[in-house]
Amino acid sequence: MNNLSRRGFLKSAAGTTALVISISTTPSILAADADNSGNVTPCLRFTDDGEIFVCVPIPDMGQGMITTATQIIADELDIDPDNANIEMMAFQGHVNADGRADEGPMPQGAGGSLSTMTVWGPLRHTAAYARELFIHAAAIEWGTSHRNLITKDGAVYNKKSKASLPYKDLVAGTRRADYAVLRGNATPKTAKERTRVGKDQRNVQSHAIVTGEPIFGIDSDIPDMKHAVIRRCPHLNGSLVSYDRDSLLAMPGVTHVVEVARRPDDLSRPWTVQTGVAIVADTFWQAKKAAAAAEIQWDGSRSADESSTVLKARMADHLENGEVADSRQGGDVDKAMADADQIVEATYYHPHWAHACIEPHNCVADVKEDGAEIWTSHQSITESINSAAAATGLPIHKIKSNVMRCGTGFGRKYAPDFIMEACLLSKEVGAPVKVTWTREDEMEQDHVNPSGMYRMRASLDEKGTLTGWHVRTAADGWIRNAAMEPPMGLVDNYKGEWGYIENNVRRGPWRGPQHNTAGWVIQGFLDEVAQAAGKDPLDFLLDLYSLKETQKLDTWPYPLLEYERFRKMLRTVAKDAKYGRRMPDGWGQGIAIYHTFSGTCAHVVEVEMLGDKDYRVHKVTSVIDCGLAVNPLGVRAQVEGGINDGLCAAKYGNFRFENGVPVTNNFNTYRKMRIGEAPADISVRIMDFGDEDPRGTGEVALPPLIPALTNAIFAASGKRIRTLPIAENL
Amino acid sequence: MANITFNVNGNSRTFDGDDEMPLLWFLREDAGLKGTKFGCGIGQCGACTVHIDGEAIRSCSLPMSAVGGAHITTIEGLSDGDRLHAVQEAWIEEDVAQCGYCQAGQIMAAAAFLKDVPNPTDEDINSGIDNLCRCGSYYRIRKAIKSAAKKLQNA
Repeated sequence: MNNLSRRGFLKSAAGTTALVISISTTPSILAADADNSGNVTPCLRFTDDGEIFVCVPIPDMGQGMITTATQIIADELDIDPDNANIEMMAFQGHVNADGRADEGPMPQGAGGSLSTMTVWGPLRHTAAYARELFIHAAAIEWGTSHRNLITKDGAVYNKKSKASLPYKDLVAGTRRADYAVLRGNATPKTAKERTRVGKDQRNVQSHAIVTGEPIFGIDSDIPDMKHAVIRRCPHLNGSLVSYDRDSLLAMPGVTHVVEVARRPDDLSRPWTVQTGVAIVADTFWQAKKAAAAAEIQWDGSRSADESSTVLKARMADHLENGEVADSRQGGDVDKAMADADQIVEATYYHPHWAHACIEPHNCVADVKEDGAEIWTSHQSITESINSAAAATGLPIHKIKSNVMRCGTGFGRKYAPDFIMEACLLSKEVGAPVKVTWTREDEMEQDHVNPSGMYRMRASLDEKGTLTGWHVRTAADGWIRNAAMEPPMGLVDNYKGEWGYIENNVRRGPWRGPQHNTAGWVIQGFLDEVAQAAGKDPLDFLLDLYSLKETQKLDTWPYPLLEYERFRKMLRTVAKDAKYGRRMPDGWGQGIAIYHTFSGTCAHVVEVEMLGDKDYRVHKVTSVIDCGLAVNPLGVRAQVEGGINDGLCAAKYGNFRFENGVPVTNNFNTYRKMRIGEAPADISVRIMDFGDEDPRGTGEVALPPLIPALTNAIFAASGKRIRTLPIAENL
Repeated sequence: MANITFNVNGNSRTFDGDDEMPLLWFLREDAGLKGTKFGCGIGQCGACTVHIDGEAIRSCSLPMSAVGGAHITTIEGLSDGDRLHAVQEAWIEEDVAQCGYCQAGQIMAAAAFLKDVPNPTDEDINSGIDNLCRCGSYYRIRKAIKSAAKKLQNA
């Protein structure tokens, strides 16, 4: 197996582009210039020497977008995905009234587990259109009806004469197709006609990855580039006071020392660009060494009294005495509590989590008077352009953004800061500048997942049925989902209240924002309630999800939950996991189910306690409802990854700050899970509910994993984990 | 500055810069070999793993001063021309990579590991490999290591 395709690697065409098709649900080449000198943003490019370029609309941060896009197009166009060249699609949105880039017909950012759903329709229509053009070009070439023609392996075949013409020989002829065809509206394949979608598709960039090709943003190198390492304020919401500029300029290789001003300068608003001192040098090492030696004075007074411990105490106090920022209620939860046969009450807490994107943030910017070009790993093509525009003041159409493969994103690489830094410095210095963040920078300047404390109360009647549900939160971010989601609304008596604790921590979206902790709090507490009711948690959940057939959620994206799916998934995962079988002493199984954005996932986790303070996860059994699984191999990867991410966050996730300074800033202080603690046995089943379209997958597996884990630990040891991280609370 | 001579992927190299600089930055910046990755700079994550005289070394933590006379193999030098190493083949077959950033380091660590432990059990893997994968691709890494072990034994 030595001729594995090398085609997946990003490269530019040697041949001239001869045909361009732009992304659309109704694509048309009528408006396009044949030599791509017009305004058309390609989704598919065909060169005169037979190369096909798939232009991927949304960046790949490990969720598999490059592969999925290629697979969808390859199926519709009847080409081998290994023969497709990959490039990132240029920005195909527009400039709005404020002069900012706005998404076009199809958003070009990765988030919300939306990538596959977003590209699904437009890519199929675009590729179907291309196929139609080739068929009609061949029909004209052969003087035969298009009804005699099929496409296969990158060519049009005449069923009658057995003749064939590869697409490259038909490119010139596509313009001669009938006007009705040229106008667009080709019909994509039906499910039965598909040859690749719905089947396992390997990562099309695997060969490039395993041979170390330079496909990540941090691998970018352009001629005459300077390097910058920035010392950013280590204090939460602090400011720069002074620094020894002269000794910095005297250090080997240093060419410039540039102050980076906080943006916005209003300290009451979260920073977009952190205040700091940028050391610009000829080489990365020179910049890094000088930056490390720099003597800088900061003002950390604004947050000097803040620490993780103090914040936790403030939350506890707020739960008792604090103001409720907002609330949701229905029925009469106070009466339900008063009439209850049993009340169950518990307080849950989780600290902040850092992103720890494996590729430290970076950007190369080349800013000139009349335009700017950037190379970076970023989650959004659109926002990358806005970031560069904001920093340079240049109009949108003068920005060229090269978004590379991201070494994970998890929400942090949607931010503008590292792009803005590189642009500001390039503009100042008058040369291309590469800004590279260190691991310490990435953690200290993270936008962490919010921390929260929750008082949970449930009322049970004499039959052990849930009659009332009351959640009160005190969190330092707008964590509301835990106080808005089912069982609220599933039971008629409910109240959800949330309180917001103001502080100087910089927070932002982390894989499955809000859901990543709401899932644990809700499904963990439900397990407690089930135990109090004397019922097996599986039975209790099945009863709960039988109270209604559907429920429309008040939380984005306002999905309609179908509880028949939940019940089927619970039964299926229980069966797959042999849930409920007798386990050896010290072993236990935990079960949980949760819906995140547009997908639902359930797990059974099996653990074995290792003494009193540790455990081993032996097996995770999972079921996922992701709608139509475009790439089952990729869906399973996202579940496997979400499982390990959840196991890690639950056991070790603890971003800590003391005296207003983050103290967990590398992997020696912010511990991450390795293969030795990852379950050797994972089994993932993709549910088939007959959906014709994909739903979301990327963030869906993590939220129910954490409660399944802590529920399993309870089953194995009798210890109920209500405070994370587990490693410090067993 | 001392003139340091060593070998990278079969090519002789010299270095006369700051000998405190970690090997990682020579590879990425001076030699333009971007496959070896920067993940943490303190030897904790393993994204920077290379082979020195056949042994897995975290290049972010090895200063150039220690590199004289060494035979260094990076991910770019692991395959034999177009012929991929068994570990690289297994990584493709098992579809290990998600974002892919850590995988060059994983592959280098696994290749060295399999020389020492040609027929690893799960426990061997648990204690013998600790490269960080932020995407959590460990389940497939484990499968790929076992698959590569079989390939190497049958070779």
